[in-house]
Amino acid sequence: MLSALIWIPFIAALVIALLPQQREKQARTVAGVAAGLALALSIVVLAQFDISLAGFQFQETLSWIDNIGLSYNIGIDGISLPLVMLTTLLIVLVIYATGHDIERPRLYYAMIMMIAGGVTGVFLARDLLLFFLFYEVELIPLYLLIAIWGGKNRAYASTKFLIYTAVSGVLLLASILGIVGLSGSGSFTVDASIAQALSSAQQITLLLGLVVAFGIKIPMVPLHTWLPDAHTEASTPVSMLLAGILLKLGTYGLLRFGLGLLPDAWDVIAPGLAVVAVISTLYGSLNAIVQQDMKKLVAYSSIGHMGYIILGMAAATELSIIGTVAQMVSHGVISALLFLLVGFIYSRTGTRDMNVLRGFLNPERGFPLVGSLMILGVMASSGLPGMVGFVAEFCIFRGSFITFPLQTLLCIVGTGLTSVYFLLMVNRVFFGRLPEQFSNIPRVSFREQVPAAVLASLLVMFGLQPHWLLEWTEASAHAMAMLQVKALAEVQQPDESVAMVDNEAIASTVLTAPSIEAVN
Amino acid sequence: MDVANLASQLNVGVILPEGIVILTLLTVLIVDIIRGRAANAITPYIAIGGLSASLAALCLQWNIANPVSFLGSFNGDPLSVVFRAIVVLSAAFTILMSIRYVERSGTSLGEFITILLTATLGGMFLCGASELVMIFVALETLSISSYLLTGYMKRDSRSNEAALKYLLIGASSSALFLYGVSLLYGLSGGETQLGAIAANLTAGGQSLGLIMALVFVIAGVAFKISAVPFHQWTPDVYEGSPTPVVAFLSVGSKTAGFALAVRLLVVVFPLLADEWHFVFTVLAMLSMILGNMVALAQTSMKRLLAYSSIGQAGFVMIGLIAGTEVGYASMIFYLLVYLFMNLGGFACVILFSLRTGTDQISEYSGLYHKDPLITLCLSLCLLSLGGIPPLAGFFGKIYLFWAGWQAGLYPLVLVGLVTSVISIYYYIRVVKMMVVREPQEMSDAVKNYPKVSWDAPGLKPLQVGLVISVVATTLVGVASNPVFTLAIDSVENSPALSASLAKAKEKSAIAVLPKDSPSLEVTKVASAKL
Amino acid sequence: MNLAEGVQLVSFIILTVMMLGAALAVVLSPNIVYSAFLLGGVFSAMAGLYLLLNASFVAAAQILVYVGAINVLILFAIMLVNKREDFAPVKYAWTRKIVTAAVCGGLFLLLGTTIITTPWAIDSTAAAGDEAIYILGEHFFTDFLLPFELVSVLLLMALIGAIVLARRDIIPDSSNVVGQDDLKLPEKPRELVSAGADGESS
Repeated sequence: MLSALIWIPFIAALVIALLPQQREKQARTVAGVAAGLALALSIVVLAQFDISLAGFQFQETLSWIDNIGLSYNIGIDGISLPLVMLTTLLIVLVIYATGHDIERPRLYYAMIMMIAGGVTGVFLARDLLLFFLFYEVELIPLYLLIAIWGGKNRAYASTKFLIYTAVSGVLLLASILGIVGLSGSGSFTVDASIAQALSSAQQITLLLGLVVAFGIKIPMVPLHTWLPDAHTEASTPVSMLLAGILLKLGTYGLLRFGLGLLPDAWDVIAPGLAVVAVISTLYGSLNAIVQQDMKKLVAYSSIGHMGYIILGMAAATELSIIGTVAQMVSHGVISALLFLLVGFIYSRTGTRDMNVLRGFLNPERGFPLVGSLMILGVMASSGLPGMVGFVAEFCIFRGSFITFPLQTLLCIVGTGLTSVYFLLMVNRVFFGRLPEQFSNIPRVSFREQVPAAVLASLLVMFGLQPHWLLEWTEASAHAMAMLQVKALAEVQQPDESVAMVDNEAIASTVLTAPSIEAVN
Repeated sequence: MDVANLASQLNVGVILPEGIVILTLLTVLIVDIIRGRAANAITPYIAIGGLSASLAALCLQWNIANPVSFLGSFNGDPLSVVFRAIVVLSAAFTILMSIRYVERSGTSLGEFITILLTATLGGMFLCGASELVMIFVALETLSISSYLLTGYMKRDSRSNEAALKYLLIGASSSALFLYGVSLLYGLSGGETQLGAIAANLTAGGQSLGLIMALVFVIAGVAFKISAVPFHQWTPDVYEGSPTPVVAFLSVGSKTAGFALAVRLLVVVFPLLADEWHFVFTVLAMLSMILGNMVALAQTSMKRLLAYSSIGQAGFVMIGLIAGTEVGYASMIFYLLVYLFMNLGGFACVILFSLRTGTDQISEYSGLYHKDPLITLCLSLCLLSLGGIPPLAGFFGKIYLFWAGWQAGLYPLVLVGLVTSVISIYYYIRVVKMMVVREPQEMSDAVKNYPKVSWDAPGLKPLQVGLVISVVATTLVGVASNPVFTLAIDSVENSPALSASLAKAKEKSAIAVLPKDSPSLEVTKVASAKL
Repeated sequence: MNLAEGVQLVSFIILTVMMLGAALAVVLSPNIVYSAFLLGGVFSAMAGLYLLLNASFVAAAQILVYVGAINVLILFAIMLVNKREDFAPVKYAWTRKIVTAAVCGGLFLLLGTTIITTPWAIDSTAAAGDEAIYILGEHFFTDFLLPFELVSVLLLMALIGAIVLARRDIIPDSSNVVGQDDLKLPEKPRELVSAGADGESS
């Protein structure tokens, strides 16, 4: 079943590529049908998913290339499930949000479907090399999507994206080879015990390799410079895809392989990561404040919000891990919504400059609905209660506060800054008088706003009923947090009895961290 | 020694594939003489038929009971069978893509095919030669035919220049090689068979003479595989030669060079194993770095492929240096994959230059709008060369890097990883030129692009070759398990390598014990590169 | 030292001096025709050394092949391309000469050391003498059979190649002289080399 999730998009990409020239308009239909099928299938998976189990479910194992120990090994657990759902949903919306009159539709939709299949594969892979394979499949399609259907400066932005991502891929491969090669294991299958054969110095260096590799993709300050460029130049659907799904590859990979495979080393570098998280948050937020370009602003806000995810992962308590996954979904939904809305305004006015745009909430000639949705999205993004952003951020901050009080407080300052820059944006663009030059702009049809409406309703739904978002992850997050506790215990075992007390204290704080019901 | 006894000792059956190639060569020549220009319609197909028959004969030779033939001159062990098969395949593909090209240039096809088949023959014999005289004669057969092919477009001054450069540099490298080989002859007390030389050298121990022999032999081999710093001829020769010849040189000739390297270095120089591993490590690093770096600045497609082939040779050397079963097998696998992706790429370049008369990268601009098929095929081949999954090149590289990593060649693998990122950049540059450019940014050549048709004589075979290579490039990687198992089998069943394999195993067993230090430094290097 | 050994030593010295002197002259002589003739001297002296080693067949082969064929070919080549042209003297030519001398001297020292320090496994059986030709023949038809046969293919191909390079290309069917673009690469030359690329042909 999970295989179908991966392969339906790939087959669709092949079919689209083989469509004859005269029928290229049907590329959209094929892509839409395939994406819809994948979404339906993922809902079936969701319905059959057993939330009480921490391990992988729906596993499929097929030996592929025995000679290097690569096997086709996929499965889904509480951490990947929400992300797979997010992917299948966003792909449908992205296809829907793409204009009918797009140039070279066959290439475009084939690339989108390849990304869809690849990302699903990344989230489902249970083999390190298979993960890398799917991770690299993204590279060329996304490069082409930015380079062909992008803005004026797309050549520069796409090349920058390509170089950063390729470097990330190579570091990832080196780290994977390192983990498996040095541990002497004959296969690349993900196995929690793989790290036991490694010395702690080896673990830390390998983990640093992983952190840098995924840090480029997340992106983590100071490896972030490709993101604002890529976002500014990419078209609206591609931006949705990039912010909504592709950034999650980095965070997911770090969570799954950094924390999941090398928990001992994770414990060592976690304080550093927390500091990086704070820097990312504050740097992203402060940069967002000074942006004049709406899309760049949203892009910097992405960098800021990725900081929370890093913080949650660094803390690695059960609650913060749940929050991390929730934040990935929440950021995926919110940023896709924001990019979509910015796209509406840009496509109608031809500018994203906040010095020029004014008064679009004007009920007569502006975009009142777009404006309202924007305000909703902005509220969610700055973490107002009742929206999905609040749930995720609260989980992260509550879970991390035990471990990193100061860093958490600084990140909370970041949420304050989020309100600042988003209010600035909303205030400038949507309030005030609509200038004359924009008085005759074409309307945004209701049909176009369907994706935005879907995203907005999700955002409110999960905000009011957080359980629907969080329950899937609980068991897996618990297992992952226990890994960390075990690691801590192992690290501290040789110490004196004082440490033992400490150790128990840590374990108990982790275990007694407020449960989800408390959040509700 | 009576005749019957001699005949049985010669074990002639082993060179049946080569015999078929010789017969084909003669048939082509005679048909060409009898029928004149009209023969052009059939000679290429005779040649391809002959090469296919030879390939079939090679398959039958797999793992034969007694591989040694001609009293030790030639060894038909599975290792040589695999290498010979790659050479034959590359020749067959070259002929497929050369028909139109050669006819278009007005030169005669029959002689071209004859010389190409002779080069193939030299390459095949080189893959299995296990005796010094045989090695040298085979090497010269391959080289001299290559010089002739390079200068085949004799009214073009670039072709003349290429042939002259290739001849001069090639002749001096042959001379160096011969000097090294003669030192071996002297050191071993008058032996010419590789096995006997190795046995006698072990008795003599290390000496300055042996080191000199090694240096000279490496110079000869490195010239053939165009490893930096013996690569200077490559770009000019590639640029000036007829493109199908370049395709053959970059795959067939290189494969033969690697076969020679394996046989000669591994069998004869176990005493100096550390030394030649070190030298090859340096050569591999230089090739990867320089080949890939200089390729960044190229404007001509043929020169780009020339530098890329230098870089690719560096990757293949990783497998040779690893010296393990998996190492040799991954080297064979990568050569096979390289055959398909590189020849596919060359087929596209030939097609493009036939239709537009240029091979400048900038002229590819906007090709997607006029000829999606070539664009797709060339993109796939180049991306595969760059190692983008799930194409075959990615798997080839993974095998090589994994083998290298397991053998403890951390710096080499990391250089390989970093340079393959660089290579992705310049391959993508071409893809970008073709795919990304808008219709209004088309180059003049593409604007005047003729209507795509495959009707002209000689284009159909080119199309067949192209499609086969591209399909193989896409699928061989994903379905690489049986192919790789075959490669491992060939290494395991070749007694020539067993000694060195045992040694490598011993070494790795020792290397496993102290486990801590290497990765630490290595990953630091990796993160420092950011 | 008996008479035979004395004669041998003297002739060795004479031959060596002749060979080294001629070889140096080949390299240093400014006139290429002299160089070519002196090369013949080097080859002949080498044949003399083979004779001293009791390898009469190799000596004869040396004279026939090197002096009779290769050297004559070189002379032909020189005379056919006898284009008098005065080259502008290169600045600092002497530095090049010094570098060349240093490299050659270094190489000589290295190889000399190699020859002296290496424990050669010298074959102690007596030289075959006039038997050599039989032994050679036997080798050609036993253990060197394959390279011997391969050489015949090589020679055939070299013959064809020589014809291809040397013939005038008149296409028999069309009775036309070759067109402007024939026998050239289909790719256009780059702008830089275009001046030299058309014009000359072989």
